[in-house]
Amino acid sequence: MKIGLEVHVALQTNTKLFCRCRNDAAEVNTAICPTCMGFPGSKPVLNGSALSIALGIAKALNCKTREKVSFIRKVYFYPDLPKSYQITQLDEPMGYDGGVEYGKRKVGIRRVQLEEDPARIIREEEYTLIDFNRSGVPLVEIVTEPEIVDPEDLRSFLFELESILYYLGIDIEKELKIDLNISLGRNRVEVKNVTGIRNLVDAARHEMERQKALLDSGKDVVAETRSYNEGKGVTEESREKESDEEYGYIYDPDLTEYSLTGVEFAKPLMAGKIAHDYAERYGANEDTLRELLMFNRDALRLLEHAKDRRSMKSIINAISLLRKYNGMEMDEDSFDQMAMLLEKGGYVGEETVKKLLSGGSIDINVEEVKVEDLDREILELINKNEGLIEEYEKNPKTFNFIVGEMMKKHKLNPRYIAERLGKLLEERRK
Amino acid sequence: MSSISEFYEKDRGEDYYNRLIEEIGGLNGKLNAFNAIGSISEGFPFSVKDNICVKGIETTASSKMLGSYVPPFNATVVERMLKKGFGFLGKTNMDEFGFGSFGLNCAKPARNPFNEKYVAGGSSSGAAVATSILKYHVAIAESTGGSISTPAAFCGVVGFTPTYGTISRYGLIDYANSLDKIGIMARSGDDAREVFDVVRGSDGNDATCTDPDYHDRNTGNIFVIDELTNGASEEVMREFSRLLDSLAGKGYRIERKSLKILEKAVASYYVIATAEASTNLAKYTGFKYGLKNDKFYQKYNDFFSDARENFGIEAKRRIAIGTFVRGASVKDRYYVKALKVRRLIINELAGILKDGFILNPVMPIKTPSIEEAESLDPLTSYKADMFTIPPNLCGFPHVSFTYAYPDGMPIGAQLTAGHFDDYALLGFLKEWESGFKYRFRYDIGAL
Repeated sequence: MKIGLEVHVALQTNTKLFCRCRNDAAEVNTAICPTCMGFPGSKPVLNGSALSIALGIAKALNCKTREKVSFIRKVYFYPDLPKSYQITQLDEPMGYDGGVEYGKRKVGIRRVQLEEDPARIIREEEYTLIDFNRSGVPLVEIVTEPEIVDPEDLRSFLFELESILYYLGIDIEKELKIDLNISLGRNRVEVKNVTGIRNLVDAARHEMERQKALLDSGKDVVAETRSYNEGKGVTEESREKESDEEYGYIYDPDLTEYSLTGVEFAKPLMAGKIAHDYAERYGANEDTLRELLMFNRDALRLLEHAKDRRSMKSIINAISLLRKYNGMEMDEDSFDQMAMLLEKGGYVGEETVKKLLSGGSIDINVEEVKVEDLDREILELINKNEGLIEEYEKNPKTFNFIVGEMMKKHKLNPRYIAERLGKLLEERRK
Repeated sequence: MSSISEFYEKDRGEDYYNRLIEEIGGLNGKLNAFNAIGSISEGFPFSVKDNICVKGIETTASSKMLGSYVPPFNATVVERMLKKGFGFLGKTNMDEFGFGSFGLNCAKPARNPFNEKYVAGGSSSGAAVATSILKYHVAIAESTGGSISTPAAFCGVVGFTPTYGTISRYGLIDYANSLDKIGIMARSGDDAREVFDVVRGSDGNDATCTDPDYHDRNTGNIFVIDELTNGASEEVMREFSRLLDSLAGKGYRIERKSLKILEKAVASYYVIATAEASTNLAKYTGFKYGLKNDKFYQKYNDFFSDARENFGIEAKRRIAIGTFVRGASVKDRYYVKALKVRRLIINELAGILKDGFILNPVMPIKTPSIEEAESLDPLTSYKADMFTIPPNLCGFPHVSFTYAYPDGMPIGAQLTAGHFDDYALLGFLKEWESGFKYRFRYDIGAL
């Protein structure tokens, strides 16, 4: 089985790719002009910031780049395409021949190209409307080699890709639009315009099953374009696609060639690789690190700062607490104090986080309590309250009461107290 | 002194513009120079070819597909003219989308002011006629393959096509973007120079428009290229020889050369021009502007095909040819090869033009009658552009000017210079005009 993807990433530039219309208008058909409406006499002028972001993506995906890029016209007739051609790239794209590594897998990137988005079609029962706000929005199309092997591999690849895009400053909340090329046998089927990782994995699974059923019954898979119906969970036949013959690509003569020399771009950050490396170097759990770091710039910032000062366990602990109490923006010094406190077995709650966030400092001198003393005090508490154990058997919340009581006496990490309590109760049961 | 300065120095009286418009209106019924006439009330009058957008004024490129289209913005050239105080007079007639050499590919062809039975030339037919009938006026025209030189020569006016990329194309309804050049028609080189200084210069709305370093090279050499005279009629060559003698008499060194690759220029031009045109014309689908198809119950493809029936025959021919030559299976043999040929011709011609001008007859034939021009088959008609195409294909600046009036009709020559030698050409015109007086049959608006 072979799966290849065409991933369309909308860039959040201030203005559109070839005109000065805003790129974020909410109300339909308000960010439009002669150029993005394809009016006679209008001309495209390239948005340099889109060029720079697209180059950053190409570099992050380890693509080769040529000295110059150029744009071409891809001609087809559809109501969402105001000029009846899309300005895109062909022979001189932003990047080519790259690849993404994730875990032990690697998928090749055939090309990365910069192009304009068509308008948005709004289909109603009786009529169709067009919102030209989207017409001319910069898109980066990432074309992979057909090297993804199954739906799970697809999920892992997309997780890695989205993380790379996230660290390049792409807003991945706006879901990526992805075309899926999938073939079990000879012929390739394209499933167009699937949004979201979950839908994509589902669509791949359904299409795979459909093709398998066809092949098993001795039938041929027709090379065609299908669309994914999320409601029914099936792929369906869709409109006929033009062939390359009909697109009739020519250079867009309104745009010159653009040299990439001197074009600045964002340096990529591979959170997946960092999680892997740190898991090995610091003996931490890779999955936990990935969970924290893949889509969290602040987590990475704080971890990078504290990694050789505090134990990885306390750092991970501290980041988890910041996520819980919405404190990810915390500065490095405060984070350091917090991690130090945790490292010493101290208690960090919402109050502590708030205090640090508002610029306050905390007492990091944790009371030294010997384990024997703590255990003795817990047992005393249990013995003093008749029936506590019986009640615990019925209502496990009693556990929290004991921890709470102990925390009134000592500034200790509740997790630590709970750990001791659990151990004592277990011994007692024996 | 340019007629522009002269105009501002003279007392025009209160009623000047009303009388002007009235007189133009009267003659326009006969000559079809204007597609639309504005409401000018001040400034030196300028007209605009109908494929250049003027805000609020119907702009159709003489196509039914753009019927009743009113642009919401001014082309950069128009904006700059207005800002400088020029007065917008009207939109001039043309071949549909610029597709033609005789001005006949439109609803009401313009007629030659020297003899109405004759063509005005194309595609900027109306611009040439307007310039030929109006005493104080300049025309903003446009050339893709000879659309300024030819009508200027036929109507006896000066046609200036500057280096590609010196005048912004923003607001120009595209024919072939890598070839389209906005230019100027006037009654003198000085007028053309004054307007060029107003409209040229880079523009944030056109990525191909630049601010070059202009040179002013006139080496005193004039090259006559065999491939740019072969095939001209005996009559044309007889007149042209006299021009060469006259220039030699003024001290120019005339030298003959041959450049075989120019035989490929027409083919290369039509491949590139139609390839680009067929993509430019794809946007006319009958539902956003211009002609409206109201059959919204149709499927998209049927709807589009239906609307696109309204292109003229020449537009359809060029869409068909252009779509063919860029198809994936033949692209390398036509489109890509044509681009390579263009590159070779540019290099060869640039080599010659650094040592001097190139001079040739504008057309291989004398101004044809409308009847004669209508009887030409498309291929013969395309070949008529063979002398104007090379500088247009390569973006070299060129001027077309009248040098004789055999049988009372003007005949013109085209002088080409190297890239950014625009002012050398305008300087040549000034020199030429000091010894040659252009004749006009009308002088509407004279003071």
